[in-house]
Amino acid sequence: MRTSKLDKTTELELLNQLFSCATHDASAAMCRWTDGLIRLALDEVREIPLPEVCCELNVGDDLLTMVVLELFGEMSGAMILAFDEVNGRQLAAALLNRQVDPAQPWSELEKSALTETGNILGCAYMNALSRLIDRELVPSPPYFLQDFGASVLQQAILAQVDSGDEVLVCRTRFERQGENLNWHVIFVPSNRLRTALEGALR
Amino acid sequence: MTLAAVPIPTQITVGMGQIAVGNKDDRLAAVLGSCVGVVLFHPRLSAAALAHVVLPASSGRDGAPGKFADTAIAAMITELSRLGINRAGLVAKLTGGACMFGAGGPMQIGDANIAATREALAAAGIPIVAQDVGGRVGRRITVDCRDGRVTIECVNHPPRII
Repeated sequence: MRTSKLDKTTELELLNQLFSCATHDASAAMCRWTDGLIRLALDEVREIPLPEVCCELNVGDDLLTMVVLELFGEMSGAMILAFDEVNGRQLAAALLNRQVDPAQPWSELEKSALTETGNILGCAYMNALSRLIDRELVPSPPYFLQDFGASVLQQAILAQVDSGDEVLVCRTRFERQGENLNWHVIFVPSNRLRTALEGALR
Repeated sequence: MTLAAVPIPTQITVGMGQIAVGNKDDRLAAVLGSCVGVVLFHPRLSAAALAHVVLPASSGRDGAPGKFADTAIAAMITELSRLGINRAGLVAKLTGGACMFGAGGPMQIGDANIAATREALAAAGIPIVAQDVGGRVGRRITVDCRDGRVTIECVNHPPRII
């Protein structure tokens, strides 16, 4: 049976509410981690045709610095924190409270600071979703990547493309003192997790 | 002095699950992670097709033919035949199929995509003349339809050509 446009809109509105709750918790964690400097806000929850996903999310062939967390098991999915080089270095510098030389390669300490950010933010986000659907979601340890954004996003959306040509993506933005930063969190749930999320709000 | 007009190559970006064909004035481009970029090229006729394959097998599922390895090759042959290019004389190049995520979960599909694409090409009788597959990094590829050269760029590595 084909889902009507109205049903689809309602579904996306429900998911929007749910991801807003998870974003709120992740934002509180991020705020504590950065001494009130950085907050998160839900950007969009939308379905995008497969060939257009990277273009629509502005994740193309630019080099991005990313921290990735995967969800395994029945309720799988992937979360990507994505920064451009300059902003990633700035966050690391702020967290370490020291100047970072952009001409130097990323130090282990800088990578660790960003990875820990992913851990804190990702765990708060997954805990909120776990509570809402009453199922345990256990993220993998976060890992640091520098690559083309599209190459990484491609693998993240595989859990959804198995059974359709549209991809549900939740995107969250970062704000510093009310100003939008060029950092994003992209969360892609598997189809089973999406169904569980929708079911939780009905 | 009169300058002859030099055609500017057109670059066509091929998204996930898509197939594009081009002739000598075209370049076909894609960014690959676990997906496989399959290039079919006719050396004498200077025409090429690029498929951005996402999954190994359609298994009867709906979807764009370029999305699956087992349907992409047949669709590429059909697209090229519309330009008057027969299967005989076509050669293939393969790129992509990386394992992007380090945690080793169930979503490591690059190897399966590579194997399924090789199988589909063998079934179609199209030889693979060059490949750059696997690994753990993304690839930005550009296919020059004039000579079939595929330029592969990876982060922190010099470009290579196959």
